[in-house]
Amino acid sequence: MKRNKQRKNLTGKMKKPLNKRLIRELTGDIGKYIVIFILLVFSIGFVSGFLVAGESMIKAYNESFEKYNIEDGNFRTEEKITAAQKERIEKKGVSIFENFYIEKEFDNNTKLRIFANREQIDKVCVMEGRLPDDLYEIAIDRMYADNNGLSVGDKLVSGSESYEIVGLVALSDYSALFYSNNDMMFDASAFGVSVVSDKQFAEYDEAKLRYNYAWLYDDKPQTDEEEKKASDDLMDVLANIVSLENFVPGYLNQSITFTGEDIVGDKAMMEVLLYIIIIIVAFVFGVTINNTIHKEATVIGTLRASGYTINELIRHYMSMPLIVTVIAAIIGNILGYTCFKNVCVAMYYGSYSLPTYVTIWSAEAFWKTTAIPVVIMIFITYFVLRKKLSLSPLKLIKRDLSGKKPRAAIALNKKIRFFDRFRIRILIQNKSSYIILFMGLLFANLLLFFGMMLPPLLVHFQGIVTENMLAKHTYMLQIPAGAIDDEDELSAAFSYVFLLNKISTNNPTAEKFSAYGLKTTGEGGSRVEDVSLYGIKENSKYIHADFDDKTVLVSSAYADKYGLKEGDVITLKEPYEDKYYGFNVTGVYDYDGGIAVFMSKKHLNDIMGLSEDMFSGYFSDTEITDIEDKYIGTVVDEESLTRVSRQLMISMGNLMYMVDGFSVVMFIVLIYLLSKLIIERNVQSISMAKILGYTGKEVAALYIVPTALVVVASLLISYPILSYVMVGIFRVMLKQMMSGWMVIWLDPSVYVKMFLMGIITYAVVAVIEYRKIGKIPMSEALKNVE
Amino acid sequence: MQLELQNIKKSYGEGGSRIEVLKDISLGIEKGEFVVLLGPSGSGKSTLLNIIGGIDTADSGKIIIREKSMADMDEKALTSYRREHLGYIFQMYNLIPNLTVRENIEVGAYLSKKPLDIDEIIEVLGLKEHQNKIPSQLSGGQQQRCSIGRAIVKNPDILLCDEPTGALDYNTSKEILALIERVNKEYGNTVIMVTHNDAIKNMADFVVKLRDGVIRKSYRNETKQTAEELDW
Repeated sequence: MKRNKQRKNLTGKMKKPLNKRLIRELTGDIGKYIVIFILLVFSIGFVSGFLVAGESMIKAYNESFEKYNIEDGNFRTEEKITAAQKERIEKKGVSIFENFYIEKEFDNNTKLRIFANREQIDKVCVMEGRLPDDLYEIAIDRMYADNNGLSVGDKLVSGSESYEIVGLVALSDYSALFYSNNDMMFDASAFGVSVVSDKQFAEYDEAKLRYNYAWLYDDKPQTDEEEKKASDDLMDVLANIVSLENFVPGYLNQSITFTGEDIVGDKAMMEVLLYIIIIIVAFVFGVTINNTIHKEATVIGTLRASGYTINELIRHYMSMPLIVTVIAAIIGNILGYTCFKNVCVAMYYGSYSLPTYVTIWSAEAFWKTTAIPVVIMIFITYFVLRKKLSLSPLKLIKRDLSGKKPRAAIALNKKIRFFDRFRIRILIQNKSSYIILFMGLLFANLLLFFGMMLPPLLVHFQGIVTENMLAKHTYMLQIPAGAIDDEDELSAAFSYVFLLNKISTNNPTAEKFSAYGLKTTGEGGSRVEDVSLYGIKENSKYIHADFDDKTVLVSSAYADKYGLKEGDVITLKEPYEDKYYGFNVTGVYDYDGGIAVFMSKKHLNDIMGLSEDMFSGYFSDTEITDIEDKYIGTVVDEESLTRVSRQLMISMGNLMYMVDGFSVVMFIVLIYLLSKLIIERNVQSISMAKILGYTGKEVAALYIVPTALVVVASLLISYPILSYVMVGIFRVMLKQMMSGWMVIWLDPSVYVKMFLMGIITYAVVAVIEYRKIGKIPMSEALKNVE
Repeated sequence: MQLELQNIKKSYGEGGSRIEVLKDISLGIEKGEFVVLLGPSGSGKSTLLNIIGGIDTADSGKIIIREKSMADMDEKALTSYRREHLGYIFQMYNLIPNLTVRENIEVGAYLSKKPLDIDEIIEVLGLKEHQNKIPSQLSGGQQQRCSIGRAIVKNPDILLCDEPTGALDYNTSKEILALIERVNKEYGNTVIMVTHNDAIKNMADFVVKLRDGVIRKSYRNETKQTAEELDW
């Protein structure tokens, strides 16, 4: 027993000299550890910040449903609901709340939806200042204010009216500022929401009021299916009682749901990014460990022969990567909770009108950014070490590390120039480093590509949608639900005739079309989205195609998104009914502005059971001014078509710069570490070459050119792969994230810029390596180590 | 005189731990001579060889090679001196591990404007069947042959050998010595060999015995033994 204790003490003492090496290893290779450390701290810090911000935000968002009493849905009626109607509706298990608004254009070319302050439902979160309580006071959405450079105390002018901004607010039912639920994307710079005092709201012209109502279920449906059924039932009831202009159940309301879905989606993406980075860093450590073992094989062999166990040595060589990872994880988390969290919160606040939040401790973020990276690091380094250190002490002492018989050298043609053969040998010798370099560069380039290709893609999209618009202005008329009630055709026809004179225009450029909104069926789990069906009159000035009774043209955006071609059959359904339509696609019409189907007006009206004369809107190259606003539902013009790209530019702009910066850092770190490793591995040979009389330039030409070739080849090979992957990622992302479609266009100049960035980055590293080669002393070769 | 050393001094360390490795060494070497620098560990023989090879510098004194002083040479000139005039053979071979035997010899050939025929050298060194192997596939003796090949392929004026048999067994050592002897005879290079093996002095034209940084004795052999005849 006593002897065992003594032995234990002795072993304890034995270990200490090895541990002392750790500090020397750190100081001796400080450059490598600093760059890896920085890369890890930034990756872990940023992801930790992102997760903490995301968790805090999602908590604030989820709690806001109860805290601010967010509606279960809303609908808009043509006329104000009477008390009797309200009572009839509420008998169906819902409570109805008035949430009227008006829309006003302001002199800064923006539109505000103005509500009276809400005290019962969809309550307002005051972020700064106060709620208005007097005439001409207004509290505007915080993000709209940010995007338009407005702050408390400023004035907002609409014609002769001037409002004082008294507060910046977040409206709980508008965390994403969608103007219409059918919009592909919200636009927080051109559109915002706001509240005024009841006194001010009472001043508005009743004709301009939009009778919007929010509802809450008395018994909230528990599942999506139940909610869908409840809302479908409610819509049927409403359609019989009131004249519906709009009906949006909460679970389909993008203004409410988009934010939550996006935050959850972002989180998953960030975690994947972090793990890829950690795996790359772990492999870099793996290669450096491998290098160290090669260098210290005789020492390791001797230690093993003296009685050190494999595990003791594995622990020793694993210590440094683990210490660096753990410290980086701790510091990364501290930075994550402090500065990176704020950056990420600012990113969310830059996109969404979220209420105030409280930073929460996220155990999930901590585990994901600390435990998982450490486990990945342990796993990969252990695997590399175990493989090498399991060799017999004798093999280690003899430096026979291959574990099997030495492989014969690959035969190279003697006709190849000597220098080139030399370089090929270096490529072969360092193939594992070069593979990691390639994978790392591919990944860094993927990030860089993502960051760099998005802005030109958005600009290009803006360009093409504005170039091939159907008409400069496309007006969709707001036709009350009763007018197209196909269950009561007679009353529909009467309402329609009554409406006709209100929706006629004298504008000579205007051309009538009929339109019908259907939805995709969401087959294969894809997003259900709106499809606009246009019925085009014969010899149209705006749609240049020949239509017969069977012509069904899908827009090029539709064809691109769903891979449609002539002969395919598309199935569409009524938005809120179980009624399906099948169309045989006869061609593609060049229109990238939306998911649309074109056919003759007669054809569409026949299918939808509408009279031949019925129409739904106008194409016009000049603005139509003689139809009242309330009969105009939506206007598709340049502004509305470019909304998606503009908003993406705003909300992703900062992220793109960060992604660019990060990928460049990663690029430098990887090239620096791996080319350093290759030089270190060949220090003896380089030193010997110098003794033999090779000049510094010749040595550099031998040892730097192969890495340069790998970098150039990696860059060039990566571009087609990146293009393919990026188009794939983008297609999936766009399909899942948004309604509508964006033409995916990869700007050729991005490749040139990326290549130049890659080469310049490498050139900087090559200069450092050149200097390093110059400093390798000839005495290295004189050390009796082969 | 092909090589002349005048009052060479060299020390390492500073203050109390300063060690004088070479104390006022002077000697002259004729072209084509086989010189053996003999001495125990720490006698300064390898330091002297490195100074001659231009990979270490003397604190004071003069080295004149082909009537040019090394003190006047800058780094570039020193590189060119090693490139054009010197061949190096080390105890631990120092072959480039990822190059084949042939390619390792080509590393030397590249440096010469008029290299010897590589195939011939491979043949002479008995490495023909091993020419496409990498160093780790070779025995110590084969590796040393390859290193000799790398040194002589550029047909250097001076061949510097630092304990070339130090890591080899008796028979292999004799083979290597015979090879160096043959190179000296056939190609007429000056050979300067550092060794602590006393028997090797018998195959030298000129023997320099060093101890504690001082030449204890130097003499020219009137009768030489061949490598084959050596015994220890």
